[in-house]
Amino acid sequence: MNSPNALCFGEEFPATGVPCHVEVSPSGLTVRFQDDARGLGELSLSFSTVSVSAGGLDHDQLVLRWGLTSQVQTLYLKDPAVIRAFRSAAPPVLTKHLDETAATVRRVRSRNRTVWAFMVAVIGGLVLAVWFSTDVLVGWAVDRIPVEWEKRLGQSAYQDFLVQQTVMKEGASVAAVHEISQRLLEHILDNPYTFEISVVKNDVVNAFALPGGYVVVFTGLLEQAKSGEEVAGVLSHEFNHVLERHGLERIVKQLGVVAVIGIILGDQQGLAGVMKQVGVELLSLKFGRAQETEADVTGLQLLHRARIDPDGMITFFQRMSEQEQGRVEWLSTHPMSTARAERLKKEMALLSKTVPEPFTFQWETVQASAGAVRR
Amino acid sequence: MKSEILYPGAFPMARVELTAGEAIKAESGAMVASSPTIDVESKMEGGFLGALSRKFLTGEKFFFQTLRASRGPGEVLLAPTVPGEIVMMELDGVNEYMVQKDGFLAGDEMIKLDSQMQSLSRGLLGGEGFFILKVSGKGTLLLNSFGAIHKIELKPDQEYIVDNSHLVAWSGTTSYNIERAASGWVASFTSGEGFVCRFRGPGVVYIQSRNPGGFGAWVRQFIPVSE
Ligand SMILES: [Zn+2]
Repeated sequence: MNSPNALCFGEEFPATGVPCHVEVSPSGLTVRFQDDARGLGELSLSFSTVSVSAGGLDHDQLVLRWGLTSQVQTLYLKDPAVIRAFRSAAPPVLTKHLDETAATVRRVRSRNRTVWAFMVAVIGGLVLAVWFSTDVLVGWAVDRIPVEWEKRLGQSAYQDFLVQQTVMKEGASVAAVHEISQRLLEHILDNPYTFEISVVKNDVVNAFALPGGYVVVFTGLLEQAKSGEEVAGVLSHEFNHVLERHGLERIVKQLGVVAVIGIILGDQQGLAGVMKQVGVELLSLKFGRAQETEADVTGLQLLHRARIDPDGMITFFQRMSEQEQGRVEWLSTHPMSTARAERLKKEMALLSKTVPEPFTFQWETVQASAGAVRR
Repeated sequence: MKSEILYPGAFPMARVELTAGEAIKAESGAMVASSPTIDVESKMEGGFLGALSRKFLTGEKFFFQTLRASRGPGEVLLAPTVPGEIVMMELDGVNEYMVQKDGFLAGDEMIKLDSQMQSLSRGLLGGEGFFILKVSGKGTLLLNSFGAIHKIELKPDQEYIVDNSHLVAWSGTTSYNIERAASGWVASFTSGEGFVCRFRGPGVVYIQSRNPGGFGAWVRQFIPVSE
């Protein structure tokens, strides 16, 4: 018994059809049924008794019908070899109609292909536009993302991160970080964000800011810093990544393609999945050089407005770059260079001279509090 | 592979027995428990691009998992994410089924899964996304639904109209057209009344008695909106 290559349907047949094997001969077809329970066994059909059409989901199946109107039986052929054999053996009267159907199917297919090709071209064009887009396009897109949305994105990553960490709730180091932050925040103009700053027990020398104003400072950074002004330099820089929406710029740039396709197709489920993925990657986000320069310059200006000695920023950057080795993680996202320090010095020279206002805390106390963590 | 459905009804679970070396394909995340002899191999069904496009265009999970009894015979317990029935069907090698993206739970290793791109209008209006799963080959197939599964049998040329969001699977011998449910296209778009499929037999159509989107909307009205 050959394996079934067709399905037979009829009044008393199951809706899924009965599998059968079809063979084409010069005079007609032989249909063999696998299970003989129905007493069907073998069926011979001459070409003159069948009518032909195309059927199935994609109109790619050959449909043969025969019998009286009340007892019509239908055969669905899908196997290309059998369909070819049928078309070459059957008389032209039968296949003429089939050829017309085939032509229609081909027309529909080619139209579908054209539509798809058009869609792909449009999407591709947009993808390219975004891919090669200048910062102008990214900026345009970022401008359209509501701050609320950005906050939610940053907040979820922030909370996910803090869950795995020990957050310091009180002590001199927390108070100092808050005093520094407060001084800076008071001097930010048109601030749409409510900054949240956490001090995390960890001797890694690092600090980072998530979109929406969620900032983390590690105790390791406080230990390495020689003054509140140095910490203020790092914080001012990080705050400006947030204010300039650098995180969103990176995300839009990286996700350009996928996001655009998602938006075009209105596929929110897919987009939500992508966004979830982004949440994870936010923590390892690396900014571009232009963004770093921007954060340096605007950070310096903020320090200046807040009357915090901007020298701290530069000395800290330089000292950290000299250390090079060790666990200065901040350096991995902020490569230090003489060019960077030079640039900062030049910017500083442009600022008007002001008398810095010192912080109220004793730096030694802060460091002791941060360092006590380890002991 | 020998399977049985435990606790039939709203919260069923499928138990699949595997002989040594035997494997099944399952939706990733469907596995609840297994014998220690079962290994999980993550394979990208339909190639990397297929998997990628499925993920991005349909929001579907990236992988199907292959669960193999590589260290001796054992059993696997599988369950879908949503409450609803599981049905088991035997594929005969000739019948093919189109399965909506969330409808596939598991299947014999010999079963072939292809993501099939739909025509643009079906993809845009059908609500199943641009890709549906084409399941063919010979072996056992487990489908799951949201709510109960209802089977509609269609004789040749018999027609039936089904709301898109209730579709689970349908045989390849049926053809269907998307039609608007409301009285006009504009009304369809604005009223949110979805589209319907007009199926034409022969073949079977499996539908689910609940609509995930509708349920989601119903739940959403109780979720307080934060300022
Ligand atoms: Zn930076």
